[in-house]
Amino acid sequence: MNKQHDELANIRNEDLLLAQWLLQILVTTPQQELPTFTNKGGQFQEEYHREFYWQLPDFVQALLNNATQEELIRFGPLVFHLIGCPTCHTAYLEIYDAMRATIGIDEARPLTSTLPHSTATTSTHILVYMCQLLIHQAAGILSEAHYGHSNNVSWARSLLQQAIYLSSHVMQGTQRQRALQDLVEVATFFDSTTTPAAHSYLPVFSSTGGSRQRKIKRRAETLGRPNELAAINLQSGLSKQVGTITQNLDMLELHLEELGQDLRGQFLLITIPFGSLLEPVRWIGGNPLAIRSKIPVGEEGSLTTPLGSTDLQLSNLEDYNLLEAMFIKLDVRTAE
Amino acid sequence: MPFTAYDLRYNLQDTFPKLCAYLQQRAKRWLDSFAYDSDEVDIVVEHVIEQLTRLGLLGGGDHAPETALDRLNNAQFYAFLNQSVKNKAIDRLRRHRLLTSSLSAFENPGNLEEENDPLNTVADSIWGSPPFPTPETAALQAASQEELRILIKYCIEELSSAPRQLLAVIQELDEMGIGDLVQELKEKFHPQLADVELSHLSQHKDHAHKKLRHCLQHNSTNLAVLVALRLTEYGQYSTGFDEISVDFKTLVNERISEEEMLKGLNHLARVGLLDWHGEEIVRISPVQLKHLARFYEEGE
Repeated sequence: MNKQHDELANIRNEDLLLAQWLLQILVTTPQQELPTFTNKGGQFQEEYHREFYWQLPDFVQALLNNATQEELIRFGPLVFHLIGCPTCHTAYLEIYDAMRATIGIDEARPLTSTLPHSTATTSTHILVYMCQLLIHQAAGILSEAHYGHSNNVSWARSLLQQAIYLSSHVMQGTQRQRALQDLVEVATFFDSTTTPAAHSYLPVFSSTGGSRQRKIKRRAETLGRPNELAAINLQSGLSKQVGTITQNLDMLELHLEELGQDLRGQFLLITIPFGSLLEPVRWIGGNPLAIRSKIPVGEEGSLTTPLGSTDLQLSNLEDYNLLEAMFIKLDVRTAE
Repeated sequence: MPFTAYDLRYNLQDTFPKLCAYLQQRAKRWLDSFAYDSDEVDIVVEHVIEQLTRLGLLGGGDHAPETALDRLNNAQFYAFLNQSVKNKAIDRLRRHRLLTSSLSAFENPGNLEEENDPLNTVADSIWGSPPFPTPETAALQAASQEELRILIKYCIEELSSAPRQLLAVIQELDEMGIGDLVQELKEKFHPQLADVELSHLSQHKDHAHKKLRHCLQHNSTNLAVLVALRLTEYGQYSTGFDEISVDFKTLVNERISEEEMLKGLNHLARVGLLDWHGEEIVRISPVQLKHLARFYEEGE
């Protein structure tokens, strides 16, 4: 330890003092003009470069440990990248400073403070932001995989699952919608179907959804019929086609109304891009990207068909939220 | 139970509330008078979780590569989080123009509650102070010092025509403990400095620093530095506007070709010193001008 201390002391030679003085007269900027780390008001529009970003902690640790030039050579591409990328450079400065605070700290006495175990006490705003971050990162990874730069689809799936599970703790419909707003875009990476959908449905996130569901649960418990009143409402964009997903015991059922003339009398193929993300659903036919309706669309343009069975209960708020997230996009097209 | 980096990586859902609670508690500590502004607290917490997500730690599982953060002991990891929160909180306070002096203004060593806080396990480093005060200093240290030293010395010597400024700089270096160089300069310029008395030290120092900056930029072989110098030399205040402008053609000279000028301007724009997208007229704000006058990079 003393030897290490001496080595550090030797670095503080006259050259370093001179360099510090040079910095003082050259690069010191007034306090209020220092660059800020983020200025996005809850958005994350700054692009960063994942491959380099991940190297920052190791690079910083090498610098703090006075690594030899040979050891630092492997970070050469990172150094050049930092020169040209303000986002990663800012992150480097931040990480350097934060890791500097860890130097020489041995394992201290254990932390005894009680920290909460439930998301119930977590700020909704932060939960929403975390979901958005995970989805954003998953989208980046899927995009790279799409263009053949990587094959990290399983990682992206894991991030999306975590986002959906976290979002299920957000009880306000509008906030949950915000948390999952980018999921629809990401869904395109999971849907390899080339035929355009006849209708594409999204769930209707309602700000009163939570209270409505609670009422449903209370009424259902009273009646001893836990499932039949709870439903996820669907809407198909501007065309205003509507649908619902209900649960009959453990079976999820899709109900569609006002389907066009061209679909009447036809069997439908139902695609749920995120159907395979959550394991608890056993889909009819085994493939959530191609669920064939049990019956054709009726003459009046309506259809009711089972989708799959699950232990999740629509009458349970968190289960409801999970299923709602899974049905963030539902496409229908003719089966032929 | 406290959480660990491992928990955040492999069990995000259960650990996230604990992480948020810890970050919120730290944010309130460092946000000082904004501690009860929930928007400010959220901004600080969001910044840190964004950083951890980008680093692949939050929910990264086996997919994201392990980094030095995973290898920190628990106390170090908490110190890392605490410092990250502190930095962002200070950044927010700066935005509110509450922070006008040094960071130490926000430290309150007499706060007993803080001392007794079991979460605050950050201890002083047993190695003493960290090796470098800033990353830039580390970078400078890594660069060749010899060449830079020669250049600094040359520029200081250029001050010999203004003995008061030269003496102000020598005194400054002496106070910093740069003994060898001070001795060398004193011996070399003994006749000029013999009868000089300093009455307005800070004023002479400011003038000297300005000349040194100009000299260092002028003698640099770095293209971007030379372009920055041209901008500061030829920029003209536009009438009626708080803006400086200069024609691209004016900037080109025998030392810097048109192609090199384009390259240099693009570099300055990339590092955030200019808002320039290839326009004929380069426009600079007064703040940018100040930064350009201080811009210096090593190398060609």
